Amino acid sequence: MKKFILVRLVNIVITLFIIATATFFLMKMLPGSPFDEEKLVDLTDEARMEFYARYGLDEPLYVQYLKYMGNLVQGDLGLSYYYKDQPVNSLIMGRIGPSALLGFQAVVLGLSIGIILGMIAAFRHNTIWDYFTMIVAVLGVSIPNFVLAAILQFYVGLQWGLFPVAYWESYESSILPTISLAVTVIALIARFTRNEMLEVLQQDYITTAHAKGLGDLTVLIKHAIRNALIPVITILGPVFVSLLTGSLVIENIFGIPGIGSLFVDSIKMNDYTTIMGLTLFYSSFFILTVLVVDILYGIIDPRIRVHGKG
Amino acid sequence: MKKRFWIRLGALLSIVLLLSACNFSGSEATDSSESANDEEEKVLRLSLENDIPDLNQVKTTDGISFDVLNNVMEGLYRLDEDNNPQPAMAESVDITEDKLTYTFHLREGIKWSNGEEVTANDFKYSWLRAMHPDTAGSYSFILSDYIKGGEAFANGEASEDEVAIEVKDEKTLIVEVNEPTPYFLGLTAFVTYFPLNKDFVEEKDDQFALDHESILYNGPFVLTEYDQAEGVVMEKNDEYWDKENVNVDEVSLKIIKEQSTALNLYEAGDLDRVTLSSADVNAYKDSEEFGTETQFTSWYIQFNLGKEPFDNLNIRKAFQLAYDPQILTETVLNNGSESAYSLIAPDMHGLENQSFRELNGPIIEPNAEKAKEYLDKGLKEIGGSLPEIEILTADDTVAKDAATFVQSQIKENLGVDIQIATKPYSGRLDAMREDDYQFAISKWGADFNDAITYLDLWVGDPVSAFRGSYHNPEYTDLVYQAKEEKDEGRRLEMLMDAEKIMLKDDAVLGPLYYEGSAFLQKGNIDNLVTHPYGARLELKYVEIN
Repeated sequence: MKKFILVRLVNIVITLFIIATATFFLMKMLPGSPFDEEKLVDLTDEARMEFYARYGLDEPLYVQYLKYMGNLVQGDLGLSYYYKDQPVNSLIMGRIGPSALLGFQAVVLGLSIGIILGMIAAFRHNTIWDYFTMIVAVLGVSIPNFVLAAILQFYVGLQWGLFPVAYWESYESSILPTISLAVTVIALIARFTRNEMLEVLQQDYITTAHAKGLGDLTVLIKHAIRNALIPVITILGPVFVSLLTGSLVIENIFGIPGIGSLFVDSIKMNDYTTIMGLTLFYSSFFILTVLVVDILYGIIDPRIRVHGKG
Repeated sequence: MKKRFWIRLGALLSIVLLLSACNFSGSEATDSSESANDEEEKVLRLSLENDIPDLNQVKTTDGISFDVLNNVMEGLYRLDEDNNPQPAMAESVDITEDKLTYTFHLREGIKWSNGEEVTANDFKYSWLRAMHPDTAGSYSFILSDYIKGGEAFANGEASEDEVAIEVKDEKTLIVEVNEPTPYFLGLTAFVTYFPLNKDFVEEKDDQFALDHESILYNGPFVLTEYDQAEGVVMEKNDEYWDKENVNVDEVSLKIIKEQSTALNLYEAGDLDRVTLSSADVNAYKDSEEFGTETQFTSWYIQFNLGKEPFDNLNIRKAFQLAYDPQILTETVLNNGSESAYSLIAPDMHGLENQSFRELNGPIIEPNAEKAKEYLDKGLKEIGGSLPEIEILTADDTVAKDAATFVQSQIKENLGVDIQIATKPYSGRLDAMREDDYQFAISKWGADFNDAITYLDLWVGDPVSAFRGSYHNPEYTDLVYQAKEEKDEGRRLEMLMDAEKIMLKDDAVLGPLYYEGSAFLQKGNIDNLVTHPYGARLELKYVEIN
């Protein structure tokens, strides 16, 4: 197992290196520069180059690349251009709190409600419960979360005054955005859980368990859930991704100072170092999630344990 | 084996929990103080439409940072409700006969927020810092273009002794300018002209202006909270010389990027003023809280005189007359913008009580028939047919709408098909700079309250491709002469003629509209001034009833 993790970690470093390289060159292909302001267009070419030189942007691309990678290895993401001269590291650290809290709450809420709904639907297969759950799931997947966010904000926040309309001031501020994010997760998880449960419930060993005289609940907990949850874990990766992309919009709608809105802005502003920093941050987060999912997989399903050890 | 993993997983999860919990209680604590004293204190709650990029005044370039700084700092002069400069840190000024030397007398009892006196040295230090190649930002030109010796210093070719900023004593600052500059006092109200306390800046070093404690204030308010992504909270400055006339105790400026969210907050009573998107204008038009305002930002079509077919004057004139800006502002934009028939924005300073626009009148009168005539004339001159024509525009909604409007009007009134080339904002700037466009939707926002802020842009032999490669010696001479003219009346004559030559005779631009905005504001708020240029937000005069 240790060796497996070690190999994966090496792979992660290589992957991140490729991502960093690709992003760097793709980003430089964007038209413009971080200093494209209407106020600067009347500068002579000479004056502009002098201005770029101050930020090392006049050097050949490969030199800029090597310098950037050199700093990156030391954990230094450089200085932001738009947020003049602020280290990207501290920009990200300062913004990560709200995003992490929202993401975490949305996963917890989404998983728990999703699994419960999915199991109810499977147990009460082809009843009103089942149909209801599946309607919720289809709606949850098909309604974009920013539409839901706007609706929640307008009715729950403004009309009924139950939760703050926006801002990031107290714990209540996190409720509406969490719900907006969690609905997609609930829908995804509920559908998966239901399908997997249905399949597992038809397996021979479930019949055997029943035949042994075990009660419904025991069969469910001891035999069914554990097997049904394996595929659910596999979609945790995509779920995280949908949360990350969802948060880009949700944060703006609720005026939350998180990294999602920082990412969107940095691309608009050609803020090279911030784009790089956040891309790497998001990708490492995603890759690590996948790693954790793989490890969890092994724990829950002994058949998949790596290299037959365990 | 199994157990160990569960333990590790558990540890991981609890770390995540702990982390997020920590961060949250932090922001909670800072905000709980806010609601406590609402009853006695006069609190104004506003929003900002984007993050605050940089509060380092010598470097910063964006309107949002300007809005914040203008209310916590103060220059020699400050703009009043009518955008005229009034003595602020300075008590008075002596201007020599030749209008080239300004002697500012600083007010008694002006202090930094730490109690230290604001002196003439603070201005000299800040201005030099704003021009020095190592510390300057892209607004250094607003000092170096005017102050004698400034340009050479900014280019690293001269020492600071050669810059004509002299500290005669702690309370007297003498500045020489290159040319008579009637709007120089207005410039001293601009952010880049604010003073800095040398000891403080050097003590903070690279931490300067990164949080509310690393800025020293001399304006009507001080920052008590500052988070780039959340916004700021300001409180009345106890050390401010004119604090008796500051009516508001606390102002919050929170960042809300979505207009619809801001509107919901306004409806919920959490904001006192909100900018409306054009989709919302009709619903609120009749409300008593509704208002509009325009800025000194002109949008126009820039013709590229170096590219076919706009190297032909008659074709330019045809395109210039073929659309009616009124349709654009009333039916397409519908956001408080005003239709433009010339370049210089309305309300821009003219002579005495008349604005430049009132004096010079509208210059372009849209006329589809005349346009058609010009087109026929032009076509004959260029041999019968037009090449393929593309209009370049940035990809934001407003600019795209303007381009689509021009496209449809040209089709309707001239029967000519044109294509729209959409690029990201910086892509548009690049293409124009590199002479890779025929005509484009472009704009300019004034830096100061004088027509020369616009007219100077098209001076060159020829001017850059970005400005259409325009060259007319008559125009250039007029602008140069105006810059040296000491008689205000004659100077304005020249500028007015210059505007006419460029727009009417040479048809270098096609005016579109003066940027405006529509807003809602609570009825108990008075005197919330927004200046049409530079640092726009002015909170000093606000009164809450």
